[in-house]
Amino acid sequence: MRAAGRPAAVELIEVAKSFGDTEVIRPMDLEVHPGEFVVLLGPSGCGKSTVLRMIAGLEDASGGEIYVDGRLVNYVRPRDRNVAMVFQNYALYPHMTVRENIAFPLAQGRTPRPGRGERAALVSEAAGIVALKPFLDRKPAQLSGGQRQRVALARAIVRRPSVFLMDEPLSNLDAILRAEMRISLLDVHRRVGRATIYVTHDQTEAMTMADRVVVLHEGQVQQVGTPEEIYTEPANSFVARFVGTPRMALHEGTVTDSGDLALGDVTFRPDAPVALTAGERMGVGIRPSGAHVTERPRGPHLRGRVTRRDYLGGDCFLEVDISTEHAIVVRAEPEGTVNVGELVTVEIRPGAAHLFGASGERAAGLSLLGPP
Amino acid sequence: MPTRPATARRPARPGRAHRPRRARRSVMAPRRSTLASAYGILLAGVAVSLVPFAYLVSTSLKDTNSLFSYPPDWIPSPLFWGNFAALFQDHPYIRWTINTLVVSGVVTLLKLLFDSMAGYALAKMDFTGKRGVTLVLLLSVAIPISALIIPLFFVVRHLGLLNTYWALILPPLANPLGIFMARSFVAGIPDDLEASARLDGASELTIYRRIVLPLIRPGLVVLGMFIFMLQYTSFLWPLVAVQDTDLQVLTVGISGLQSAFLQDWGLLSAGMLLAAVPITIIFLTVQRTFIVNDLSGALKE
Repeated sequence: MRAAGRPAAVELIEVAKSFGDTEVIRPMDLEVHPGEFVVLLGPSGCGKSTVLRMIAGLEDASGGEIYVDGRLVNYVRPRDRNVAMVFQNYALYPHMTVRENIAFPLAQGRTPRPGRGERAALVSEAAGIVALKPFLDRKPAQLSGGQRQRVALARAIVRRPSVFLMDEPLSNLDAILRAEMRISLLDVHRRVGRATIYVTHDQTEAMTMADRVVVLHEGQVQQVGTPEEIYTEPANSFVARFVGTPRMALHEGTVTDSGDLALGDVTFRPDAPVALTAGERMGVGIRPSGAHVTERPRGPHLRGRVTRRDYLGGDCFLEVDISTEHAIVVRAEPEGTVNVGELVTVEIRPGAAHLFGASGERAAGLSLLGPP
Repeated sequence: MPTRPATARRPARPGRAHRPRRARRSVMAPRRSTLASAYGILLAGVAVSLVPFAYLVSTSLKDTNSLFSYPPDWIPSPLFWGNFAALFQDHPYIRWTINTLVVSGVVTLLKLLFDSMAGYALAKMDFTGKRGVTLVLLLSVAIPISALIIPLFFVVRHLGLLNTYWALILPPLANPLGIFMARSFVAGIPDDLEASARLDGASELTIYRRIVLPLIRPGLVVLGMFIFMLQYTSFLWPLVAVQDTDLQVLTVGISGLQSAFLQDWGLLSAGMLLAAVPITIIFLTVQRTFIVNDLSGALKE
């Protein structure tokens, strides 16, 4: 048992996975609190599903310890770990009705096995939570994608597990349905009140749903934090570029004699004291959402020529050349009439620019000083 | 949770009766001349395969004397039923039929059980020696039955099983071909289905029984038909293994109808014709379940 009080719903200590010589997951630690919604976010192939499958017991960990509810489960069979999993492709039993699908976990040899009447009540309750009651007698093939996903969810709910594991459960749905299901999923999560570990490569899902986000890249945890922390203080350039749309522009700047950063003739000053040597090359990242076109700048600003205009309705993003070799993306008023080829004035909000060290780690925030 | 009205209203299955008639000729519809020649070729094929059968029917209804008349009269007159009578009166034909059905049926059921279980293990489980086992099975497919007959005979004799049903039932069970077919059926089931069942608390046996078996059933029906036909028509081993006339199967029994001195073609034809009846009935009955039971709905396609 871990520290006093309620044990973590899931705790990973130095958990690693390798196939032969290939290290898929580098030793990672993670603590998921009861009732917490944690999202594992990363590009495909980063190992996030592997982490989930190790917690479920579908794959063995090559090293480290996995605890569920304070109990070491490395050598516990999947069925006895008290976790339920929702698969990306739903994994419904096609020859069974919705009712039979949801009831399947209850009919297995667990002790105590609920009686027939109780089973029906549990199935009905789970189906009610995901609004599937009218469809209980259908086969999966007769359901829409969203309904199938809800069957998979109900099948997990009915077991009342300590932890829900969800492996990209929405990635097969179309965009509109996905947005709906995000809300439904969160609603279910609140009503059920159990810890959820949710794997996705979709930053929108991660940002909107997570209590905490774990960013994974190449089997390595990049950062663990709330969506706000991940966005405003990315641990490194990978996180900074992976989260946020459009993605952050990243350039190599040169440290000037005065300890500032120069991109062409545009200069930035670190917000915090950083040890820099003149002439050093450092990463400078600028978030499109924090850079905007203005007619009357009130502070430091830069000028550049528009090379592309992406109109999105509620938003409008421009690609602006701020020097011969540096382009950044900035936000413009969607009602504006800026055309490609025009010169625009750009202000950069404090906190929107970041300084990254040689190995990509974030060193400080940057503020625009403007062209000299 | 919001329900999308569009999907809620959708009927479970579009009724065939309500499907609108196609207004225009489909682009894919073949021309009349193409259709005619296709039918011509098909009819010729039907004729070629039916003529021997018709000849068999005709022969079974003739007595030996009228057999060799030239030109052959296809519809003998009068019809001679003596061949059929002889089968039932002079020979234990019904007994042979029962023997054949019992042996083929038992072999089919047992083999389906073994093949599907072995197929599941080979397709989905990781165990030491899996490659070795697969290799040995694959190699044994290549051994012809005639090479096995003599050693098999000694084995069965040592077991004291000659002249029993077991002599006919046990050896065919070792044929590994069905295992490979079953393995390929099981391999078609997505891994996530079993992973999900395993997480849901199902034991291996439950996964096999409640997930794998129902999903590979259409495949198993075909495999079963295949095994049954093979067993129904097998001749060499039953000939060697059983001498007792009352335990003989149809193939062996019918071949025994011809003696060195007398070739009673009418009797033989009658025997062969009747032998085709049970298997035809079984085939037609089972045919209905050949419908492809795809995995639609299990996964997002």
